[in-house]
Amino acid sequence: MKKLIRVTVNDVAHEVAVRPNQTLVDMIRYDLGLTGTKNGCGEGDCGACTVILDGTPVNSCLVLAMQADGRTITTIEGVESGEGLHPLQQAFIDKGAIQCGFCTPGMVLSAKSLLDENPAPSEEEIREGISGNLCRCTGYLQIIDAVKSVAK
Amino acid sequence: MSLPEFDFHAPEGVDQACRMLSDYGAGARIFAGGTDLMLDMRRKRISPEHVISIAAIEELKRLDFAPGMLKIGGCVTVARIVKSKEIALKWGALCAGAKALGSCLVRNLATVGGNIVSARPAADLPPSLMVYSASLVLKKTTGERIVSMDDFFTGTGTTVMAADEILTEIRLAEPPPHSGAGYINLGIRNACDINILNVASHIVLDRPGGVINDARIVMGCVAPTHVRALAAEKLLMGEKPSEALFERAGEAAMKASSPRGSAYSRASAEYKKDMVKELTMRTLGIALKEASGSRS
Repeated sequence: MKKLIRVTVNDVAHEVAVRPNQTLVDMIRYDLGLTGTKNGCGEGDCGACTVILDGTPVNSCLVLAMQADGRTITTIEGVESGEGLHPLQQAFIDKGAIQCGFCTPGMVLSAKSLLDENPAPSEEEIREGISGNLCRCTGYLQIIDAVKSVAK
Repeated sequence: MSLPEFDFHAPEGVDQACRMLSDYGAGARIFAGGTDLMLDMRRKRISPEHVISIAAIEELKRLDFAPGMLKIGGCVTVARIVKSKEIALKWGALCAGAKALGSCLVRNLATVGGNIVSARPAADLPPSLMVYSASLVLKKTTGERIVSMDDFFTGTGTTVMAADEILTEIRLAEPPPHSGAGYINLGIRNACDINILNVASHIVLDRPGGVINDARIVMGCVAPTHVRALAAEKLLMGEKPSEALFERAGEAAMKASSPRGSAYSRASAEYKKDMVKELTMRTLGIALKEASGSRS
C-alpha cells in the first residue's frame, strides 16, 4: 500500500506517495523527475545513484523511499547555484574528467561531501573519498586532478 | 531487478520492534543498514512479507564509552567506527576492519550489527571483534541475553539468534595494559571487494618487553564461520615474542585452517593456506608493536 512521505529535495519540500518496496533512486527519478541521479548496478557497488541524505552521501539504490520520510536530500540538480555551476562541476569540465558522464553526478556528490568535511584532502583521501564510485571511461586520474584543483 | 512486495514498518523503539518481530514471525526481516538485505531481496534469495526498519531507532545508534567498556549500538554505522578517535586509539584492529569494509558510501549505511548478524565468513568486523572478546546483547519481547561472539556463529549465514531476537548492542572490554591487536584483509582490490582471507590477532604482554600472557587469533574465509586458531594461540602463551615464534604461530594457524578453493571463493585453497601463515605473522607483528608502544 502506498504511503505519503514528506521529503525535502534540493531545498524544495515534496509530498510523494511511495510503495513500500520502492527504492529512493526510483522515487527521485520517476516521481520527482530528477534524472541526474543514475540507476546503475542496483547493489551499492557503482555509486551512480549517489545522493546526499541528511549531509551524508549514500547509495540511493540501497535506501527505501519510505526511509526518506522527513529527511533532506541533495541530488546533482541541487549542486548548481543561481551563479552557475559548482566549482567542482566546472573543474570536471576543465580537467576532462567526464567522458560518457554516467558516473559524473555520483562522483561530484562524493567529491563535494569529501571537500565539505575535509577542504584540504591528500591524494590518498581523495581516492578513498571516491572509492564507492566507479568510472569506466577516465581511469580516474582526471577526476582526481579535478578534485585536487578545487581542494585548498 | 525489482524488490519483492512487502509491508514496511518503522518502529520508534526497540520494544516496539521486538513486538513486531514476534507478531509477524518468520515472514519478517529486520532492516538495519540494508546493504546486505537489499541485495538478498533483489536477488530473490529472500522475500519477506514484512520489513522492519530499525535504522532510525536512537537507542541503537549510541556509541558509548563507559569506563572500561565500549558499547556499540547495533545500528551504529561502520563509517562512525572509522571516524572515532577513541576506537582508533584503543581498538585499532576494529578501526582497521571498519576501514576495509565496502566503500565510503557503503560504510555510511552499513551497520556494525548487520555485519555480524549476516554471518558471512568474509565479513570485515567479526575477526577484530572476536579477538577483543566482544559479547552481543540479544533482545526479544520476553527479555535479553548476552552471548559471547565465540559462540555466536553456527554456519555461513546462520547464528544462535532466534527469529524474534534483535542484536541491540556489541560490548567490548577495554584492552588491558601492554596489549595490542592487528587486522589485515586480503582482497583483489581495496574497495567494494569480498575478502579472499582476513585475520585478526591480539596479544597481551605481562610487562613491556615481557612474555605473552594472553593471545587470540581469528581467521575469516577459511571455514563456514570465523574461527579461532586455538593451537596457534596456545603456542604463544608464556613465550617471549619473536619473529621465529610468530612464524611458528603462523604455521599452526595454517594447519588449523581448511579453506575452500574455487573461483567462487576467490582463490585456491593452497594460496589461502599460505596466506593464513603470512597474515597471522603480520597481524601478530602489528599487535606486538601496539603492545610495546604508547597504549601500554
